Amino acid sequence: MRYLILVLCNLPIILLALVNIITQYKLKKVSITRFQHQIIIWTVVLIVLLGSFPLYNILNGRSAFDSNELSLFDIVQTTVIVFLFYAFNNLRQQLDQNERRLRDLHQELSIKLSGK
Amino acid sequence: MPAYNEAQVICSVVKKMAAVMDTSKHYTYEIVIINDGSRDATAQEASKTSATVINHILNSGAGGATLTGLSYARQNNFDIAITMDADGQHAPEDVLEGIKQLSKLNADLLIGSRLINNKGMSKTKVIGNTGLSVVTKLLFGVYVTDSQSGLRAYSRRAIDELDWKSTGYEFCSEMIWRAEQSDLSIAEYPIQAIYTDYSRSKGQNNWNGINIVKRLLKQRLVELFE
Repeated sequence: MRYLILVLCNLPIILLALVNIITQYKLKKVSITRFQHQIIIWTVVLIVLLGSFPLYNILNGRSAFDSNELSLFDIVQTTVIVFLFYAFNNLRQQLDQNERRLRDLHQELSIKLSGK
Repeated sequence: MPAYNEAQVICSVVKKMAAVMDTSKHYTYEIVIINDGSRDATAQEASKTSATVINHILNSGAGGATLTGLSYARQNNFDIAITMDADGQHAPEDVLEGIKQLSKLNADLLIGSRLINNKGMSKTKVIGNTGLSVVTKLLFGVYVTDSQSGLRAYSRRAIDELDWKSTGYEFCSEMIWRAEQSDLSIAEYPIQAIYTDYSRSKGQNNWNGINIVKRLLKQRLVELFE
C-alpha cells in the first residue's frame, strides 16, 4: 500500500516531465540532443523509482511489494527529491533561454548602436 | 577583432592589417573591432582607424565579443570572416594566408596553429597550449594542435551555423566542439606567434589554463542535461 502511495505521488511528476519534453521537441523548441538526454534521464528516474524497492525486497527474501519497511518519511523525502529535480531542471532550461536572449539582445544593441 | 583594453596597440594593429589587405586585389574587406566594454581609450583609438567599431555595452568576454563579430558578419552577408587577437600577436600576412587556405583546403573552420611550427614560443606556452588541446580532445573528441588560437577563418556556412555558450577563453575549445557537432570541416595551418612585452603581459598564463579546463569540464557535464 505504501509503495503504491510512493508510485502515485511520483509518477505524475515523471510523466509531466516526459510530456513536457516530448511537447517541446514536437514544437521544435528543443534540440534533438536535449530531447534524447531528457528522455534518458527521466526514464532512468522512472525505472529506479519503480524497480529499486521491489528489487531491495526480493534481495532480502521478502515479497516484492511488501512495503512494511517503507516509512511515511521515505515517501515524502523521495517525492520531494523527484519534485526538486523536476523544478531545478525546468529552471535551468529557463535560465539558459533567458541568458541566450540577453546575449542576443546585447549583440543586436551593440551592432545597431554602432550605427552600421 | 575582439578588443579589451587595447588602446596602446589597436591603431598600429589595424593599420598593419589594412596595409597587408590592401596589397591583395582579390578581396574586398572590412576590419571590425568589437570593443568589449574596455575601460581605457580603446574605443577612441579604434575610431581613429578605418575599422568599423562595435562597442559592447557590457563586457562579455572574448567568447561573447567573437560571437558579436560573427553576428555582424552574418547580418552583412560576408563570405569569409577571420578573427584575430587585437594585441598584435598575429602577423597580418597570416590572416591573408588564412583566407587563401580556407578556400584551398575547402574548410569551414580554419585554425591558425602556433604549434605546428612553435619557434619563438616559450616551453611553458607550448606545454600549456598542448595540454589544453589534449583536454579538448578528451572532453569533446576533437584534436587540433592549437585549440586556443585566436586566429581563425570561417566559411559562410560556419558564420551561419556556429554558436556557443562560453563567454570566456574556453570558447576556443567549445567552438571546435560545436563545429564538429554541426558537421563543419575543421582544418589547421601554421602561423607564427609574435610575442612582444605587451602581448606577453596581455596573454594567458597556465593558471588561466586551469580555469579554462575547469569551465570546459563544467560545460561538458552540463551538456549531459541538455
